[in-house]
Formats: sequence, structure tokens, C-alpha cells
Amino acid sequence: MTGCEAALAGGPEQSFTASLLGEIAHLLGQLAASGTGGAIDLRSLPLQAADREALERALGRGEVEARLTTAGGSEVFETTYPGVWWVRHRGADGRISSETIEVTLIPEILKTHADDLAGARGRLAEAIENRLFEFQAGEVE
Amino acid sequence: MKTDLRLGDMLQARGVSRRAFLKYSSYLASLLALPPSAAPVMAAALANAKRQSVIWLSFQECTGCTESLTRSHSPNLEDLIFDFISLDYHHTLQAAAGDAAEHAREAAMAANKGKYIVVVDGSVPVKDGGIYSAIAGISNLDMLQETVKDAMAVVAVGTCAAYGGLPGANPNPTGAVAISTLVTDKPVINIPGCPPIPEAMAATLAHVITFGKLPELDNLGRPKAFFGVSIHDRCYRRPFYDKGEFAESFDDEGAKQGWCLYKLGCKGPVTNNACATLKWNSGTSFPIQSGHPCLGCSEPKFWDMGGFYKALSEPMVDIPKMVGAAALAGGVAGVATGLLNRSKKAKAVKSHQKVTVDDLTKGDAS
Repeated sequence: MTGCEAALAGGPEQSFTASLLGEIAHLLGQLAASGTGGAIDLRSLPLQAADREALERALGRGEVEARLTTAGGSEVFETTYPGVWWVRHRGADGRISSETIEVTLIPEILKTHADDLAGARGRLAEAIENRLFEFQAGEVE
Repeated sequence: MKTDLRLGDMLQARGVSRRAFLKYSSYLASLLALPPSAAPVMAAALANAKRQSVIWLSFQECTGCTESLTRSHSPNLEDLIFDFISLDYHHTLQAAAGDAAEHAREAAMAANKGKYIVVVDGSVPVKDGGIYSAIAGISNLDMLQETVKDAMAVVAVGTCAAYGGLPGANPNPTGAVAISTLVTDKPVINIPGCPPIPEAMAATLAHVITFGKLPELDNLGRPKAFFGVSIHDRCYRRPFYDKGEFAESFDDEGAKQGWCLYKLGCKGPVTNNACATLKWNSGTSFPIQSGHPCLGCSEPKFWDMGGFYKALSEPMVDIPKMVGAAALAGGVAGVATGLLNRSKKAKAVKSHQKVTVDDLTKGDAS
């Protein structure tokens, strides 16, 4: 029995998880049909820790995981259902600041923004011009 | 005070990536009860926005509001708000003093005419020409009127600025009034609380910077995202209220079991705020979770509400039955209880009952 099947087979206490799974399935169908998915803000729902854990168990962890180190840590992982991502942002104190289920090909937070790209291009060109990467023979093993 | 650069460019130069903007916007969208799809739009708008000039005026206050905003979180995500604003005048925080400080305020007003936001904490005394509080020889009343003249909007933080607060409590010796009483030709946002929740202050400012307009406000001028629901309705002890299980004193079995604090004077049913969801001290707890009734600190006249430990009213009906009926009648009973409590609150305010030692051991609730 998969985590998802276990959640759906559970008693009334699993009803929140079952409802969310239904919504995720709907968004996944939408993504497959039109290329437009959606997102669910878990912090806007009256979820208890047990509900959140049940949902995470039901969706499981897939083959992609990423960690961000900007403005505190963040965890992003694809669930066992490709296209369904769990995005959990934390502040510097480790407290969860936002938590969403994103149904998309790739979460926006993982993409490189065009402005950052332009900045990186400029910085790299400057570094090359200033010979910041010039190594003397024998310096690099 | 340089405000001509886009926030995106300014922060990129300091190594803040667009991912940080997006992460902050996800946090804001969640706080402001906006859909997650709003986050990328907000991130783009924030990156294109200019740094917002803010002039912070402190009048009859205790500095608790400033403490709340500046000390509640560890740095990084939540503190990004301080990168988005240019705090051009705040006499508690600024290094300048005397004439130099006042010149900084005047310079910010001139450089950002019609675009700056004035944040005010504290009430303004108007009795006897406003002589009871002055800064640099300028009465609070004169300084407020002079500063808001060319402002884009005014944000009254804390219950003193929003409703008069403690200085305005009976007998109000200085004639303290709320900012909205004096500022009638500019948008005024009230973020009450003693002190206000830091997220409410930061997110409201971020909303104005991001969207260039005020968030949706309730009839008391408060952002609905934070003040749209009563503490009672979001309280984790609410099921005990619905079952009619109340603590009768601070050390009885009900208190130990974590039952509802309504009979110990909890003002949660008539207090709209986000304490039950956002909590305090980095999400650790809030008064009710710590076993103390809500004082109603974000409501007008909360000091004169009849005593912190006096129940709003004894439930006169069988609560579980009434809640059952409410489920069928679409919450009518809840509305009725709310109206009953508000009526009781208004009566108490009118007759101003002082808190006594007896109140601490819960006297007659009528």
C-alpha cells in the first residue's frame, strides 16, 4: 500500500490529507492538460503537525531534492509524484516562514532569474578581465 | 536616504539574489492571506520599487512598538523590510540628536514630497494647546501636522496611536487622542496592539511598497489580513468553549487541563488580532497559550473595558447546545454571543470600572 493509499484508506482523522490530495490531483491534471499547475499555501490552512506529517508521508520523497541558503535555509523536493513539489522556507532561526505544495514542472525558486543572470555575466567578465582566475603553474594541484 | 535606485539593483549589489526576493514574497503572500501565485508578482514589483522613505514619529508612547518591530526576529528573512525602507527619522534609533535630527526629518520631507510614509507610535495630547509632550521644543501636535502635510500615507502603530491607548484611558489627563482623530485628509492605517505583532507592521509596510496602495482595511482602519478574525475564533482553546469547559480560577483543574479562559476575563471574543496564529517570540506562544486571558490590547479603550479579569459576560445559555444550533443556523449563535459581548464591553467602557484586587481572584461577572 502506498503512502497515498494509506491516507485515503484512513479514518476521519485523515480527511484533511485526503482533501488536499484531491486538490493536488486536480492541479496535476490541470498541469498535464494545459501546462498550468498551481500551488497550495499550507500555512493558510488550520493544519496540525500530524496533518502535515500525514500529507508528507502520503506524497513521499521523489528523486530530486534541493537546499537553498538564501535568507535562512529552504528545502525543496519533488514528491514521488513528478510535478508535485514541496517548498519549505525557513527564517534564520529555523522557523518555517512559508510552506507550499507547488504543482509545476519546476518551482520558480529554483530557476535562475534573468537579473541575477545578467549580474553573474557582468561579475564573471570582470573577474576574467582582472585576471582573478589566473593561476601560476604549480599553484593548482 | 538615496531612494532613486530600484530595490532589485540596490540589493543585488549587496549580494541579495532574486531568490531572496521571491522567498520574502512567499512569506509576505502567506502573511497577507494572498494566493501563492501572488508571490512571483510581488517579488517582481518589489525588485522594481524604489526604497521607501519612512519618517517615524514617537509621541506619548513607551517604545514597546519599536522594540517589537526591531527585536522580535533573528536577522535575515523577516528583516529584509529594513532593506526596503529608508528610515529617515526615528529619534530612538537615529544617531543624530538635536537640530541635526530635526534637519534630517525636514530633509526627508523635502526630498520625498508626497511620497513618504509617516509611521506614528504614541498618542497626541491636545489638551491645553498640546503642551504635555514636545520634542525639540515642538509639540507633538505641531510636529504631526507639519510632518503629515506632504505624506503619502500615515501608519498608526500600537494602540496608543491607533485609539489613544493608555494615555487616553480615563480620566485622560492630557487629552490624548488617536492619530486618525487629527489626520483626516490622508489615508491612515491602524496597526493596534500593545505592542503590535511585528509581522503585521512589516507586512503592511511591504504591502504599500509592493502594490503602491493600502491593504484592505476593516471598519477600525486595520488591515483585514491580520485583524479580520477574532482571537477567539482562531484560539486552540475554542473547542473547550464550545463544550462549555471553563477554567474558574488560575489554579483549578480546568486551568490545569487547559480549558477556556472566558470566565477569567478573556477578551478574545471581542478582540480581532492574529496572536493565536502568528504568536509571539518567534512563534513560541501567546498569552492564552501561556494560561493568561487575552487583555484585548488591540481594541479601542481596552484599558477601560471593565477589568482585565472580569468576564465579558457569563454564558447565559448552554454553550454546547448553542454551538450545535449555530452549526445549523450558519453561526448565528456565534454572532449573537459576539454582539452580547460587544454590548457588555461598551457598557463597561461607559461606566469605567477600576481593576481591584478582587478582580484578580475573579469577582462577580455582571
